[in-house]
Amino acid sequence: MTTVSERKSDMWIGGGLLIFCAISAWLTLSIKQGMINSVAGPSMVPWIMIGGTAILALMMIFRAKAAEQGKEEKTISMPDVRTLVIMLAFVLLLIAYALAFYPIGYIPATLVTFFVGLWLLGERRWLVFVLFPAIMTCAVYFGFTELLSVWLP
Amino acid sequence: MDTLSYLAPLFHVDVLWTIAMGTLGGLVIGALPGLTATMGVALLIPLTFSMTPVMGLNMLIGIYIGGIYGGCVSSILLRTPGTPASAATVLDGYPLAQKGQAGKALGMATIASTIGGLIAAVVLATLAPQLASVALEFGAPEYFALALFGLTIIASLSGDILKGAISGLLGILISCVGADPISGVMRYTFGINGFASGFAFTPALIGLFALSEVFTQLERLTVKDDNIIAHVSGRWPTLQEMKESTSALIRGSIIGTFIGIVPGTGSGTASWISYNEARRTSKTPEKFGTGYIPGVAATESANNAVCAAALIPLLALGVPGDVVTAVLMGGLMIQGLAPGPMLFQTNPDVVVGIFGGTFIATIFMFIFGMALIPLFSKILKVPRRMLTISIVIFCFIGSFSINLNQVDLLTMVGFGVLGWGMQKYGFSQAALCIALILGPMMESNLRRGLLQTGDNVIEFVSGPITLLFIGLTILSLAWPFISQARLKSKRTANPTE
Repeated sequence: MTTVSERKSDMWIGGGLLIFCAISAWLTLSIKQGMINSVAGPSMVPWIMIGGTAILALMMIFRAKAAEQGKEEKTISMPDVRTLVIMLAFVLLLIAYALAFYPIGYIPATLVTFFVGLWLLGERRWLVFVLFPAIMTCAVYFGFTELLSVWLP
Repeated sequence: MDTLSYLAPLFHVDVLWTIAMGTLGGLVIGALPGLTATMGVALLIPLTFSMTPVMGLNMLIGIYIGGIYGGCVSSILLRTPGTPASAATVLDGYPLAQKGQAGKALGMATIASTIGGLIAAVVLATLAPQLASVALEFGAPEYFALALFGLTIIASLSGDILKGAISGLLGILISCVGADPISGVMRYTFGINGFASGFAFTPALIGLFALSEVFTQLERLTVKDDNIIAHVSGRWPTLQEMKESTSALIRGSIIGTFIGIVPGTGSGTASWISYNEARRTSKTPEKFGTGYIPGVAATESANNAVCAAALIPLLALGVPGDVVTAVLMGGLMIQGLAPGPMLFQTNPDVVVGIFGGTFIATIFMFIFGMALIPLFSKILKVPRRMLTISIVIFCFIGSFSINLNQVDLLTMVGFGVLGWGMQKYGFSQAALCIALILGPMMESNLRRGLLQTGDNVIEFVSGPITLLFIGLTILSLAWPFISQARLKSKRTANPTE
């Protein structure tokens, strides 16, 4: 585990939120007003939210700035580089699973995800590798399709 | 007569079986550290698609009640709260387990949770219909004020009010994606058809509360649970211990019920307040924290009383009482039901079914809790890697089964990463979730009200009900600052305290 300064991360996040607000504002400009002749148009609430978020993001940045002279620095524990790489690989695995789920089908996509996922999680016992994904994939398929009438590809 | 006929379906074998399985599943989920009742309900909402509303909703309520109770297991045996609601149980539960009285601590936790749950269920069945009949008179301005008050829950749900408010505003902005509910104009859809009706609610919830927890578990996989109390024997407290605990039990149940009704507080707050009250009013306050049975009774009666009580604002007003009921609201909406006063008019069978189901789930919780006491230490030894990857698969199937499309799966992954990041940097997933739910209600009532009154804002602050809710909103927002200032002046006056 490593740590990062909460104050610094708040400043970065505040900056990121301001950029997000600017992009959202630009997108909101292109929302059509429709036939409504009132302030209560489709973009009214988005504008209030964007404005509110921008103000609060600025407050977060100023708060972090003001805390610079503070006594003790609060920290956030972050995973070490190895764990971060594993987490990133896990996210990529999930995106791949999401993309493969429908076109390839539940059983092959899930089997591969089980194998790779267990490996990323540090499982190295071959019996678990072979038996657990096979049993779980089939049991879940049977449970959902036969008992709960949920269609799976 | 009507009420009895509405209760009859609850006693069908398949309905009872579903409630029992929900309660048992919730108990196991709650017992495992890191897996919360919120996660359990979010993950298992998709299972309710093919069920009748009464069956599906009562299964979710069973998961909720079982999940909150289950949290005490790891608090007592592992010194790690299974859910935030049972954090206070650690104080006396674990010392009792260290003294070899783990069974007794779990037994008292089960009895206390049952009493708290049953008392709150009685209040739910009597108070909710009264509140709903008042709410029937509400128009657009009143509903807007109510939604605004509901959104102030965000302030109390967040440790950092500023970050909580940002989470809430972002939630409302995210809820704007898709076709505008009044004019039908598309907003932020980028031409993707899958976004035309906005982000699907259930995949978003599953991502926020279940998948994000998987990422958190990934970080903790190296941590070993070496301090499990493996030997559990006995389960019934003695008559003397029951006598000692009676006032803590009753007080805890009342505190939990009251706190549950107030939107935005939740089980965690209730159990801490109840514990402090039990210690403050005890003749032997020095025994608290050393493994004292009334300490367990106080916390567990309060946190389980919250479950049924939190359903009161959800059913009567359409405003969730806490995060789990916010997720439960998703379950209601999936069944095509809109929580709020009209539910009592249009679907009285469902409302009465929920009242009855709350009682039944509490009784199942007692039966399973007492029966499983000797096996609880084994539940805690479930291999984490297999559990984590299995949760991922359930997240995917749950998200896919709603609309059978890929966009929902990617939405779920996106919200999972967002939820993990929010948790890491102190933002509130609960605030985002509640804003996702109440945002559309607030927006449509605000705009409808403005359109009806020709943009006359005065209408929103002229009625007694709107004024009441706006007053409560201001009080709710100011309360964290007031209590902080009071604590500060107390500390200045007495620095040793």
